[in-house]
Amino acid sequence: MRIDRTHRAWAIASLAILAISFLVYVIYALKTPQGPRGGSAIGLLFGIIGFCFMIFAALLGARKRVPTWRLGRAQAWMRGHLWLGLLALPMILFHGGFHFGGTLTRVLMWLLIVTVASGIFGAALQHYLPSVMTSDVPLETIYDEIGHVRSLLWEEADRAVEAVSENLGFTKSTVEETQRAGGFTALRPIAATAVPLRTSAAVSAGASAAVAAAPQIILLSKEQSAPLRSFYFNEMRPFLERPKRGTRLADVAASSSTFAGLRTLLPAAVHATLNDLEDICDEARQLARQEQLHRWLHGWLLVHIPLSLALILLGAVHAVMALRY
Amino acid sequence: MTTSATPPGMVEISIDGKSVRVPARTTVFDAARMNGISIPILCHLQNQTPVGVCRLCVVDTGARVLSASCVRPVEPGMKVVTNSGKVLNARKTLLELLMSDHPSPCARQEKSGDCELESLAKSAGITQPRFVKRAVTRGEDDSSLAIAVDHDACILCDRCIRGCDEVKNNFVLGRMGKGYSAGIAFDLNAPMGDSTCISCGECMVSCPTGALTNKGLAGTVIAAGTNAEIFEAEELLRIPVFKGVSGTFLELNRGAIVKRRLHKGEVICREGEFGSTAFYIVEGRARVSISSPIAHVKTEGGAKGFFKKLTSALVGRDEDKREDEARDRTIPIDASVDLSYGNPVAELGPGDLFGEMTCMNFYPRSATVVAESDAVVYEMLRNVLDIMFKNKTFRAQLDETYRRRALENHLRGVPMFADLSPEFIEHLKAGIELQRFAPGQTIVQQGDAADSFYLVRIGFVKVSESYPGGEMVLAYLSRGDYFGEIGLLGGGIRTATCTALDHVELVRISGDDFRDMVARFPSVRAGLEVIAAERSAANQQRLQMVHSVPIDQFLSQGLMEAQSLLILDLQNCTRCDACVNACADAHDGITRLVRDGLRFDRYLVATSCRQCRDPLCMVGCPVGSIRRRNSLEVIIEDWCIGCGLCARNCPYGNINLHPFEVLADDAENAGRKKAVIKQKATSCDLCTHLKEPSCVYACPHDAAHRVDPKQFFAEMLGQGSAK
Repeated sequence: MRIDRTHRAWAIASLAILAISFLVYVIYALKTPQGPRGGSAIGLLFGIIGFCFMIFAALLGARKRVPTWRLGRAQAWMRGHLWLGLLALPMILFHGGFHFGGTLTRVLMWLLIVTVASGIFGAALQHYLPSVMTSDVPLETIYDEIGHVRSLLWEEADRAVEAVSENLGFTKSTVEETQRAGGFTALRPIAATAVPLRTSAAVSAGASAAVAAAPQIILLSKEQSAPLRSFYFNEMRPFLERPKRGTRLADVAASSSTFAGLRTLLPAAVHATLNDLEDICDEARQLARQEQLHRWLHGWLLVHIPLSLALILLGAVHAVMALRY
Repeated sequence: MTTSATPPGMVEISIDGKSVRVPARTTVFDAARMNGISIPILCHLQNQTPVGVCRLCVVDTGARVLSASCVRPVEPGMKVVTNSGKVLNARKTLLELLMSDHPSPCARQEKSGDCELESLAKSAGITQPRFVKRAVTRGEDDSSLAIAVDHDACILCDRCIRGCDEVKNNFVLGRMGKGYSAGIAFDLNAPMGDSTCISCGECMVSCPTGALTNKGLAGTVIAAGTNAEIFEAEELLRIPVFKGVSGTFLELNRGAIVKRRLHKGEVICREGEFGSTAFYIVEGRARVSISSPIAHVKTEGGAKGFFKKLTSALVGRDEDKREDEARDRTIPIDASVDLSYGNPVAELGPGDLFGEMTCMNFYPRSATVVAESDAVVYEMLRNVLDIMFKNKTFRAQLDETYRRRALENHLRGVPMFADLSPEFIEHLKAGIELQRFAPGQTIVQQGDAADSFYLVRIGFVKVSESYPGGEMVLAYLSRGDYFGEIGLLGGGIRTATCTALDHVELVRISGDDFRDMVARFPSVRAGLEVIAAERSAANQQRLQMVHSVPIDQFLSQGLMEAQSLLILDLQNCTRCDACVNACADAHDGITRLVRDGLRFDRYLVATSCRQCRDPLCMVGCPVGSIRRRNSLEVIIEDWCIGCGLCARNCPYGNINLHPFEVLADDAENAGRKKAVIKQKATSCDLCTHLKEPSCVYACPHDAAHRVDPKQFFAEMLGQGSAK
């Protein structure tokens, strides 16, 4: 979620709560000779408020499980999760008087700190990365479809190379004419023979010009096509199957110069094919970038969610033990 | 003269002493035809542009010379005489002149005895023309495998040329030569067999004489089953409904019509199937039905059980009902009856025609028809049905069936007409005219005088408005829709052009009846005025958009046509798919949106119904289940038969087909039902049962919005106010 001006009300309210709490805490700390304690009335109040904030923040996960229930807009829940979850940390610090206490409370306190920190980290990622993904990946597709789109890309590349040289010997999918990669164009059948196969994302991004049928091209002799086949087998095909960082094609500038070099080695009649292959590499690179950004966007949740659950569970244990014993 | 009582756009003339009122620009021939006065014609066909070359339709309009009535427009106060001695003498002379240039009997007269020229000459009592026959021969052309050309029998009426150019748009035929050697020519006077002619036969069917005749080598045959009998032309001509049909045509189309004898319980056609034939019942009865329209195309409210009720309360589901659902609904089908929503079954009997839309427009069958008793039906292809519709006897019979069985339902189906009294409906039934239009034919022209109100009975009508530099489609109208009220209630001038998209049939209510109706029923007037005002305002708004939207991409993506877009702000969207999950949750686990699509600026226009102003998806639905009610959203009704036409028509891929379990008749156990899987079309319904689209409600990142594009993108498009 982007933290922008629309969060102003929540930010002001949170600051007000923090300021009031801080004021109460300072007065309470100054007036209590033996220092602030979690078991005192004020300390307990801070603890209850902090734990309520944590529970509310944790309930966002449950809220997402019932998206159509009219329990308030998910957007409001998310804002509450962000700001109240953040406030939980000072509340619990006020609750413990900035002491970490025994083993359980120490664990709890560190859990809270790491959970809030991971949340802040995640919020920062979700603030910045969508813009980065929008600008860096114009050919974005649905994340779950990336594997399928990638397989379509290499099939398209195979066909492009085979069109100017000889058969590469790869087996091809037989269902490509009836079903395209998931997403926008997947909903309509496209005859494989009508146009060179492109992915949904290419069309999504308005790259319809790239979909146009290739101009008439010649079939190269074995000697003529050797540089292309060598490049394709050794670099491009492996890259399309499994894009790895550090390879030439993973870098925009290096890829561009690689293709420029190929153009000098191959006749002008196949330059249109090289352009297509370069576009395919570009799309594969974008898909790799999308995967990378997607993992950043959602990967932090693998830390944040289990920690949050542990925090709630141990917090409840702490509350029961503290109140009972 | 145009009296003070003559409505705007109408002209009053007298024909043979009878005072008649017709729309301005009507030809004298049409004015006479509309008032039951017959004028002989030869070069004129009602589905072609009149040219007035044969002059046989001359009438006396009081001018210096006689006028060809097929091209002479009426004028206020015109006094027309169609049968004076002067007129009859002129026609007789013309016939004699034409006969002197025509071999008698010609090939057509010999084969089927229906050469129009020779028939007219015979009825005028001409046996031996006074004039000398032409000495020069123009020859014959036998090069085509299908059609024989006898240039000597040609009377240069141009009907074949107009048929080739206007009706079929083949542009093969034209005129060649001068004087006695003038004749028709294929391409640049090539032999017919060597020309670009595709032997469609339109020229031959249009030809009034034996100049173009069938060689009997080409024909069309319906794939006949064991119960099919093929007719010979002579046999067909003895059947009353084929009276008046060209023998040449029937001979050419031998096999395009078959007689089927059916046993009780035999299925004649099934809903959803594609076909190309229509059926005419001669004997027996048939049951027409659609299988169980009750299925969950939309998620229903009305939960049962405590937890379901609690869930429903939390979800905030309303009953998915709109204002106009309170009254009884009917399902339009491709027959002379509509089906009741509650009990979608009806009976057809002798004289009923069904499958017309499938035959003429190749739409899927809208219903299943089963022989209720032993029955005899004629099954025919489009060309036969087309020619039969030109037969006035057949048309009159069909029209009468429609008036008797479906017109009242059709009229009452228009919300504004619900208050009409039964007496007035009866009055309208007698006065209405049923009109047919071919694909592409203009029904009303923007700027013309408004003289009628139309209800769409069959087919789809495109409503468009011209503006400097182009044409803007305002709407597509289908069965049950109406048009023409703006012109009649306003200044008497048509504000838009209406064009038949396919084979269209309309119920025409004359301007007089319309005015009478709005005067007698204030509620009708009020309702129509509101609708007219709304339509005018919407049209104005749309045209303003055309002038003010500068961005090519906005136009090329069709965003201007959308009324409600689901957009995702890509700078906010974390690609968490909460919108997709919410949509699936709201619709029985099947999402109606795909988080992919075209990008406009930093927004992703998600693949979800756009509620287009120009909803192409509605064009062709055989049962009218995809439609607009009195709200903006395009909805798919429960009686969808799953033919998939709407999904194919949607340019944005926003309609999908999904399997649903429904109850249907069990073929093995009569009278019992069993669960079967049926495809039904689904598209975004804006979660009307949930107050707000679930995708928007469930988006935690403030990324998903349902917006009116022209408002939302106003600032970006340089229109001042921002979203």
